[in-house]
Amino acid sequence: MNDGVGIEIERVTHGYTPKRGRPMVALDDISLSIPAHEFHALLGPSGCGKSTLLFLIGGFQKIQQGRIHTAHGDVCAPGPDRGIVFQNFALFPWKTVIENVRYGLEKKGIKGSEAEQTAKHFIDLVHLNGFERSYPAQLSGGMQQRAAIARTLAIDPDILLMDEPFGALDAQTRRIMQEELLAIWRATRKTVVFVTHDVAEAVYLADTISVMSARPGRIKRLVHASFNRSEDTAVFKSPEFTDMVEHVWDMVRDEVDEARRQGH
Amino acid sequence: MGVLRLVLRMSPVLALLAIWYIATSLGMIKPFLLPAPQTVAMRLWRDIATGQFALNAGLTMYRALMGFAIACLIGVPAGMLIASDRTVRWFCEPLISVGFPMPKIAFLPVFMLWFGVYDLSKIVMVSFAAIFTVVAAAEAGTRGVDRVLLWSARSMGASRAAVFWDVILPAAMPQFLTGIQIALPVSLITAVAAEMLMGGAGLGGAMLAAGNYADSPGVFAGIVETSLVGLLAVGGMTQLRRRLLRWHPEFNPR
Ligand SMILES: Nc1ncnc2c1ncn2[C@@H]1O[C@H](COP(=O)(O)OP(=O)(O)OP(=O)(O)O)[C@@H](O)[C@H]1O
Ligand SMILES: [Mg+2]
Repeated sequence: MNDGVGIEIERVTHGYTPKRGRPMVALDDISLSIPAHEFHALLGPSGCGKSTLLFLIGGFQKIQQGRIHTAHGDVCAPGPDRGIVFQNFALFPWKTVIENVRYGLEKKGIKGSEAEQTAKHFIDLVHLNGFERSYPAQLSGGMQQRAAIARTLAIDPDILLMDEPFGALDAQTRRIMQEELLAIWRATRKTVVFVTHDVAEAVYLADTISVMSARPGRIKRLVHASFNRSEDTAVFKSPEFTDMVEHVWDMVRDEVDEARRQGH
Repeated sequence: MGVLRLVLRMSPVLALLAIWYIATSLGMIKPFLLPAPQTVAMRLWRDIATGQFALNAGLTMYRALMGFAIACLIGVPAGMLIASDRTVRWFCEPLISVGFPMPKIAFLPVFMLWFGVYDLSKIVMVSFAAIFTVVAAAEAGTRGVDRVLLWSARSMGASRAAVFWDVILPAAMPQFLTGIQIALPVSLITAVAAEMLMGGAGLGGAMLAAGNYADSPGVFAGIVETSLVGLLAVGGMTQLRRRLLRWHPEFNPR
């Protein structure tokens, strides 16, 4: 394996042709180099193509133009080296929480009590203990989201793609999950691509933030974390943190206004 | 409590029975046109006691369920195939559009010609009548599977073949069952109709014979027997759905 490579995105352009209506460009000539082990946030207004970019890295949609490669080579199909948490959770509704988490493990050949223990570990990690035997339909949106996170973490992918994974969580749970995610990331050194609308979240979590422009999606700016990201949660109060949030907000604001004008 | 609720739930049926009883006992209707309910009940009891009911119902059920099973075994995979392959869809879609609204029973003479006048032609008739809803539901169900579910399975390392069993089958199961649930009464109806047209043993044949002998209690007893069999089959199907879809929001109201 080539250690330095995380995700290389080279001149990727992607469009959609709806059944009715005119073809549209969702991503316009995106180039982005994400080093291995980086926590990378994608920040941008609704409809700018964040999910589309994750789908392309995940190998779920055919790359129309350009090239994406990882340490495993060119991306052409989905694989367990790239785990994804989808925006709408995508749990299997016919499986209980623990069966959902075990699914990926079983596909990796981990079975029996080992699978049970690993699944249990990740369910505890997202504070869903006691709900192992519940079906997704019996859980709240935030609980479903946490189950989806556990399911993806359990397969231990090199690359973690997360599409607004904390969007359905209340403020306290969200904060706890952010800390858990940072702890996991520090311990496992995964490459993370994290989509969010929340500027403070991006600033708190990421080494690098890609600020995307409104349709058609382009990478407008790359922002590197400019303060010491210690494990101390007091960062939220530090002046460096609030300055950077302001700084990123200014960049995002123009794009959000632009997206509004386009009618999102 | 359960019994009380059942009686309460069945009160419209009981009311109808009461009206029927009153109308016949006051002599408002000739017994030949509408025999009294107690006469029909006695005939029903006699059919049960002599084993006639078990024989006829068993035969009709056999034909209906065989045809139904064949319709499901062919129809579900066919619907899934139509949904997943464009060429197959292109070929089959017009055939289904033509076949769906067609009165299938019109094919009975053809099937008698091809498959004889015994069980086989009736079973084929039932399959033919039932398969269209099964195929249509299986196709709609397969096409309706959320692509993100397929993607998550693939990204957790499932092969394309595994996705079929692990995701498409369970995800589309509610729709499959809906199609199958409609196909089951259609199968019974068709089996009885075919028997009524062809004669011989079976609930439909017995009713045809009773009609020919102007035996109106026999005709009405046949109607009651047919509905009992239908009620039993549909009830069993509902139980099966409840069991298979324990996970579904349908049975987990929030
Ligand atoms: N299957 C599709 N068919 C047609 N257009 C699509 C399809 N998927 C996405 N689009 C369009 O592509 C654009 C980008 O969509 P995408 O879902 O990637 O945005 P996003 O940045 O994830 O938005 P959000 O933050 O709201 O989730 C949108 O304008 C959307 O309308
Ligand atoms: Mg999105």
